[in-house]
Amino acid sequence: MTDSKTLAYINMYAVLGTLENLCELDENARALLTNKKLISIGFDVKGGPAATLMFKNGYCRMEDGCRSDCTIKLPFSSCEKFNGLIDGTVTPIPSKGLVHIGFLLKSFVPLTDLLSKYMRPDPADLEDEHFFNISTSLMFYTITVALSQIGNNDEIGKFSADHIVDGDIKMSIAGGPAATIRVRNHRMITVKKAPEKYRAIMEFGDMKLARDLFDGKVNAVACIGAGTIKMGGMISMIDNVNRILDRVGLYLA
Amino acid sequence: MASKHYNFKKSQELYARACKVIPSGLYGHQGPAEGCWIPPTSWPFFTERAQGSYFWDVDGNKYIDYMCAYGPNVLGYNDPDVDAAALAQAKLENCVTTPSTKILEFAEYLVDTVASADWAFFMKNGNDTTQGAIMCARAYTHRKKIIFINGFYHGVSMWTQKIDYPGVLPEDVANSLYVDWNDFEGLKKVVEENEGEIAAFISTPYLHGNFADNVLPADGYWQKVRNLCTEKGIVLIVDDVRAGFRLDIAGSDHYFGFEADLICFCKALANGWNVSALCGKDFLKSAMSGLSYTGSYWMSAIPFAAGIACIEKMKKLDTPKMFREKGLKLCDGLKAAAANNGFNLVVSGEPSLFYLRIADDDSLLIHQDWVQEMVHRGIYITSHHNHFMNASLTDEDIERTIEVADDAFKAIRPKY
Repeated sequence: MTDSKTLAYINMYAVLGTLENLCELDENARALLTNKKLISIGFDVKGGPAATLMFKNGYCRMEDGCRSDCTIKLPFSSCEKFNGLIDGTVTPIPSKGLVHIGFLLKSFVPLTDLLSKYMRPDPADLEDEHFFNISTSLMFYTITVALSQIGNNDEIGKFSADHIVDGDIKMSIAGGPAATIRVRNHRMITVKKAPEKYRAIMEFGDMKLARDLFDGKVNAVACIGAGTIKMGGMISMIDNVNRILDRVGLYLA
Repeated sequence: MASKHYNFKKSQELYARACKVIPSGLYGHQGPAEGCWIPPTSWPFFTERAQGSYFWDVDGNKYIDYMCAYGPNVLGYNDPDVDAAALAQAKLENCVTTPSTKILEFAEYLVDTVASADWAFFMKNGNDTTQGAIMCARAYTHRKKIIFINGFYHGVSMWTQKIDYPGVLPEDVANSLYVDWNDFEGLKKVVEENEGEIAAFISTPYLHGNFADNVLPADGYWQKVRNLCTEKGIVLIVDDVRAGFRLDIAGSDHYFGFEADLICFCKALANGWNVSALCGKDFLKSAMSGLSYTGSYWMSAIPFAAGIACIEKMKKLDTPKMFREKGLKLCDGLKAAAANNGFNLVVSGEPSLFYLRIADDDSLLIHQDWVQEMVHRGIYITSHHNHFMNASLTDEDIERTIEVADDAFKAIRPKY
């Protein structure tokens, strides 16, 4: 009950896009990006998403669309092929920027490996509070961005998005990261910071609770009753976002 | 009279206990998530007793209750006449191998009472009636598709749910078609696009959905729908589970000037005794007879006795007229209290099932804040759902409610 196109959008914006946050949160990630001059990787997926990752001096930013002036261009003939890059079954061949292959191998691949370490953590690593907080924050960003991609692309997700009224939804972890789910004409976009004003709010009580939710150890409905998830405002927005959240696990499993 | 602020310590302790043995502690519309108890620390989780228009929670707090158990409390909790009929029947029999004649008496009484009814079929919950209605429509027409109004709620059977609900398969809702309320042209288009395939059109008598102002039918809407369904051989089902008997003892279709083919009743049918009824036109009786559709408690006699007594009393009191008058008085008072404090309280729907929304922001956050202040002061209302009038509500209760509303508006005013 998933489709490869939606997965490609998730892999692009929610998985590769989380490299932005990895570089903000982990000094080891920043240390991998010693280049003083901007290096950009353009991803161009036929019948799917296109985006450019830009790296410079310890920082990473994602821009929508494959920039024509990107340093390295990685074209993919299908969503399935691009998804293969993420699950490690496809080795991409640059159509541009072969001379920068060293950056791909020495910086980009270790960076994605580091992201995987946080996204699919060894239980022992989670004992360390610093690691736990970074891992949970990165999961939060991945999930909130995936949510919008599912709402825009997945057939069942689109049904849920069709029932969401316009406005900003604040999703946050108390004392941790926050995001805005912005809905306009049933299209969704995630902004990785809290909105100034919101129409609905869903806030997880703390990092531990958020983690347990992400790992499927606790249920959101039960947490709302216990008060460990705070909800308010247009509850119909939260209700439909929760239905899409149910599908995030299907794609990110 | 000064307002009292409640605490819910015992409720919260019991909820923690409940969470250990009941999924989500309390589920569905009577639980904190679906019930929109925002925040849950401001609401009672469990009640201890109820009488008339009031209930008392486990912490000893008393409430004037405008949710009426989400509808069943139509005459007042523990109504003496209904309960006397139920208890008298209990001394004779209830759930027995062969049914009591009360089923016959109740069916005859409903057929005499409900304008569009030629027969009655009894079950337990509202969902049982909508499920039975759809099965009957499909059996009669030999067609698959059902037209719903966007924003609908018709129970919890698979076909009433939506494709994105947990546990529902795309196949479960593959025959569901959706149109907007009051959009007759949209309905006509869907009917044309699915010519000969539509078994039923199902709708509440007016749009009393959640999280949005309730909307009455446009002039002539129901009459046009009725004609279209007749012309195209589509069974017209009115889900009167929520509004039934509060607008009109003869059915809400009668109130709005048309006749349903099938009409579903539950909430106000027996003042809290558990019974529901599907009533229908003669031409569907044979199809209904052929269904494999029954339940262990569907022919229990106590609720039938209660139902007869309940309808008799509603007729005697002319409760629809009473609810309209009291509902208007209450809503006018609430609107005035809001205006006196600089808030715009919008009231929608029928006065007997009024829906409230503070319209000073588009998020409902102010409204939710006011609602929780009301609950804290002993007025039980909700932020997301229509409310219900009951016959035991007094003028003093209404005055007290308006007084508390004023106090609650004053409490939130400094924040906004």
